[in-house]
Amino acid sequence: MKGRVRYGCVAAVAVLVAVAFSQLSARVDAQPRGKNVYDAHCVECHGESGRGDGSSAAYLTPHPRDFTTAKYKIRSTESGSVPTDGDLTQSVRQGLYGTAMPAWDRILSDAEIADVVAYIKGLSPQFATAPQPVTVGAGIPSSPESIARGQQVYDKLQCGKCHGSDGRGTGAVATTFEDEWKQPLRAADLTEPWTFHGGATARDVYLRFRTGMAGTPMPSFADAASDSEMWDLSNYVVSMARKPVWSMNADEIKTFYGAQTADAKANPVKRGAYLVETLGCVVCHSPVDDQKRMLPGLKLAGGMLMRIVPFGDYPTGNLTSDKATGLGNWSDEEIKRAITKGLLRDGTRLLPFPMDYASYSTMTADDLSAVVAYLRSLPPVTNKVPAPRRTFLPVYLWGKFKMLILGQDPPTVVFPGNAGLTGGR
Amino acid sequence: MRTFLKSAAIIVVVLATFGFLAFLYYIPPFLTTAPETFGKLMADAAPAVTDIADPGERAIAERGRYIVMTTGCNGCHSVVGSQGPDLSLYLGGGGIKIQTPHATFVSRNLTPDKETGLGRRTDDEVKRVLRSGTFSDGHVVEGTVMPWPLFSNWTEEDRHAVVVYLRHLKPIHHVTPEPVRGRAITIPGAIEQDYGGKDYGTSKAEHR
Repeated sequence: MKGRVRYGCVAAVAVLVAVAFSQLSARVDAQPRGKNVYDAHCVECHGESGRGDGSSAAYLTPHPRDFTTAKYKIRSTESGSVPTDGDLTQSVRQGLYGTAMPAWDRILSDAEIADVVAYIKGLSPQFATAPQPVTVGAGIPSSPESIARGQQVYDKLQCGKCHGSDGRGTGAVATTFEDEWKQPLRAADLTEPWTFHGGATARDVYLRFRTGMAGTPMPSFADAASDSEMWDLSNYVVSMARKPVWSMNADEIKTFYGAQTADAKANPVKRGAYLVETLGCVVCHSPVDDQKRMLPGLKLAGGMLMRIVPFGDYPTGNLTSDKATGLGNWSDEEIKRAITKGLLRDGTRLLPFPMDYASYSTMTADDLSAVVAYLRSLPPVTNKVPAPRRTFLPVYLWGKFKMLILGQDPPTVVFPGNAGLTGGR
Repeated sequence: MRTFLKSAAIIVVVLATFGFLAFLYYIPPFLTTAPETFGKLMADAAPAVTDIADPGERAIAERGRYIVMTTGCNGCHSVVGSQGPDLSLYLGGGGIKIQTPHATFVSRNLTPDKETGLGRRTDDEVKRVLRSGTFSDGHVVEGTVMPWPLFSNWTEEDRHAVVVYLRHLKPIHHVTPEPVRGRAITIPGAIEQDYGGKDYGTSKAEHR
């Protein structure tokens, strides 16, 4: 009898040890497997070290998450807590709407997603503390009454200070924001639910109020509003949604584009910023480090080297408003001529690539002026870019002869790095 | 008399040679077409959307056309010769080969061709590449190869307009080579772009 108990105890202990060991080894295994997934798919934006500094990171708004600080916007946990595994899994699976983070559920298996979540958690010591999930009740079904109450909560909590009285930023007091990493940030346009990073159901919106968006100026309202107030507010925000262009009829589309054009004309700097961010100016006119990451403080300050074989070295120009080294002393017409005709102030002719002035010349006059207005608004950055250096004259002429007369041997553009930096920061 | 003719001939040849070299030196690089007209060629190359019957869709496609044209998609995705873009291959891919330290890419066929172009992809797949640089096989293309981080900054509605326009292009059967990839992680090194004047794709499917 005694022996049987003893054997029973030994067996129980053995089972416990085996279970514990398999749990542990599952965690230990998940991390290297997760690293493989991470290296294959996440590095371009989040960087090799997970600090949100991949080579594409600096061009994206919002910037990719820095995993080493464990600050996550999309959570179902108390303010200040790390997210749950479910939160992280959801963000990887469905992506973050309105950002460059795609939905990985069609590409990665559930096991791969679990592994990469485990790996990401391993990048920050904060995950040693257990997450504190919030309890989400059944909520309040949307109704005209709930929406009306929600509107009062919107006013009471002064949401309009950042999001505008209409949710679109109209009348907002604060218009420019920075997150904790000093990156520019926009207040969400509450009428465009397809851009809500964490989803647009009333429950998703409720969780953003309740838990706050860590690292951004959006705080948790858990202390400022009651639970029912937050649900009413969620119903109100959901009710603010406008139709996206893909659901509009012809008349609505006409009105929508008309309003956009009028807004662009009234706010040329805003329109110009959109054009410069999307046309491609930033990619070549900002110097990068050896990992192809934009150097901090030198956005649009020029200096990336374009080696155009066989013609010579053409460093990209400083587009900031600095008088000595940038566009500060250029007239509007001179800037426009460079953008649309590839003709610089000193008479230098640019190749039609990589600076694609032929395409830019198809811009409307208003858009061209908006680009100039935005470039003028850039704070001056002193960065003296070396002058273009032509290759040895006979080589240059032979290259042209081959290209123009014989019609062969198109040029090769090489991006070896920067042209030599003299300023910035 | 003969000596005079001889020296005159020498002078003419020398002058002509110098004149020709000066001509080579001063004309704008690359193009025998003036840069001013090159822009118009680009604009003309982008097919109009007037044939779309539905006025709403036409307006969206028109917006997409403007974005595709001004952004210069055909700088890489069309074969561009010394006289401007090859209209018969507009956005048919094969216009550029890009060599990074660990991979080789040839620009892809963006026309709706079902075998060789975007006809193979859903709208969501095309938008995902334009928003995230992420292809359906999970590969993320470097932003330095295809500047998708900038197109990621398009509003979702502008991105939609671009896709609507691409769907209205004339389908072109034009095979472009698949990328050759090495290590996935970005490593330091120069990026080389071999441009225009040459078609890196092929109009026959046999090379696939």
